[in-house]
Amino acid sequence: MSTTVRRLGFLGVTVAIYGFLLAPIVIVVVAAFNAGEYLRFPPEGISLRWFAKFFASEPFVRSFWFSLKLAWLCTVVSTVLGGTAAFYVVRHAGRLRDVLRLLLVAPLQLPAILTGIALLLFFYSVGLGTRGMGGLLIGHTVVSVPYVFLIVSTVLLRFDRSLEEAARSLGASAWATFWRVTLPLIRGGVISGALFAFITSFDQFPISLLLVSVGNTTLPIQLFDYLRFSFDPTAAAASTVSVVMSVMVVWLIHRLVGLEQVTWGGPR
Amino acid sequence: MARAAEMARLRVRRPPRSAPPAVLLLLPSGLFLAAFFLVPYGNMVRMSFLAKAEGAAFANAVTLENYLRILQDAFYWRVIGRTFWLAGLSTVLTLLLGYPVAYAIARAPGPRRPLLLMLLLAPLLVGAVVRSYGWMILLGRVGLINQTLRILGVGEVELMYNTFGVVIGLVHVYLPFMVLALASALEQIPAEVELAARSLGAAPWRTFWRVTWPLSLPGVFSGSMLVFVLALSAYVIPILLGGNNVLVMPILIVQMLLDAFNWPVGSAMAMVLFGLACVVLLVYVKTANRVLRWIER
Repeated sequence: MSTTVRRLGFLGVTVAIYGFLLAPIVIVVVAAFNAGEYLRFPPEGISLRWFAKFFASEPFVRSFWFSLKLAWLCTVVSTVLGGTAAFYVVRHAGRLRDVLRLLLVAPLQLPAILTGIALLLFFYSVGLGTRGMGGLLIGHTVVSVPYVFLIVSTVLLRFDRSLEEAARSLGASAWATFWRVTLPLIRGGVISGALFAFITSFDQFPISLLLVSVGNTTLPIQLFDYLRFSFDPTAAAASTVSVVMSVMVVWLIHRLVGLEQVTWGGPR
Repeated sequence: MARAAEMARLRVRRPPRSAPPAVLLLLPSGLFLAAFFLVPYGNMVRMSFLAKAEGAAFANAVTLENYLRILQDAFYWRVIGRTFWLAGLSTVLTLLLGYPVAYAIARAPGPRRPLLLMLLLAPLLVGAVVRSYGWMILLGRVGLINQTLRILGVGEVELMYNTFGVVIGLVHVYLPFMVLALASALEQIPAEVELAARSLGAAPWRTFWRVTWPLSLPGVFSGSMLVFVLALSAYVIPILLGGNNVLVMPILIVQMLLDAFNWPVGSAMAMVLFGLACVVLLVYVKTANRVLRWIER
């Protein structure tokens, strides 16, 4: 077998698997813009009617805004929690470093549905229940903190501390050094961590499933409930919103720190 | 003289007394995770040993009843068996499909790599609900694949609401995780090692089996463990793509908690599933370590 044939074969297999990976997502977007009740060949033309129906549907719109608000709050809280934790573990933790790292990434190692169950039982055991947004915010934050922690740690590990020493020796206070030197230099990592936290919350399913309450439903849960009983492309319009968000987040991270940074900790 | 310079340098580096203690940095996340991660997990373990009370979610009496009820029921064992079988099958399939993609990413020239990663990460970040819905459009009774089959005169084929649909969904959703694990292992194998084997006369397949594959085993092991655990706990995919025909443990657990409000039995079921998962993973890790040691020799 010649090298060219082998190369082409390998290329074909890779393209086919990428096709498998992308097909259902592309199909959802196509279905959202398709005029007909369901997708068929040839397509029946382009239309925005399903988006119109999505924005006219009170449950969808309400859950969309609820998800956005929740994801935004979760981003702020987990960026602060994960960021400060990364600073401590990278720079100050002594013998406890490995234990702390294990604790901080543990929510990623355990199935989210298990964490959701544990939180549901916990909230009821202490008499809080699952009314309002608080429980969801806590649940989403638990699984978002590890992402921020991991990404900010990666950036901090490669940080050149002599820059901080220079600022300090020139008379800057610890506070000023942090805001004027450290933070601007690690900004890309912090924003990437925040974006990961945002999308983790916005697309979160297992934890939300257990912690939602009447009147406080997130978009993925609303979509899931909808799909159990109907099939029409309003769901495709709702899904397209989620697809667009994910693509934007990936693109932003690519521009900010590079995807290699967040996937296996830097180019080699 | 040198000593004086050294002292001066140390004096500059020493933090001034005004700096707050560093432990304050750990306080927010530490307290948060202790309260909302460690304590809830502890509480769940405790709950699984409590009795169900009349008119209340649980009583403060310790019992093994919940576990016995699950472990003595053949129905649960069938569902557990199905859950593990589906997770194992999806793991093997993601490994087979993930390897070529991971290899392509790891060996891609600099400028093409971000594109390949982007096409992998974008699906990863799209939620499982949306992705299952995409498969419903493709696999459904009036879906695109069945429409095509009808035009070709093959007739309708049941592609969804059965094990086939669930496996397709599981493989699709967890494939990116496997690819990332494999790619980070393949990344560490210098291309020169393969070139050396080739230039010494090894055929491509021999190079793969004797050089690339053994060196990539750490990624194979970590990726398959990750996918296995994720697939064991899958809930959305078995419901949406399995209809009511593919019952797995996470579905039963959520029913027990949210519909039957039986918290003690629900948490015991969760403990049984993930206890068994831990046993499987321990055996796997033991075997994997033995294999890795054997290869290093």
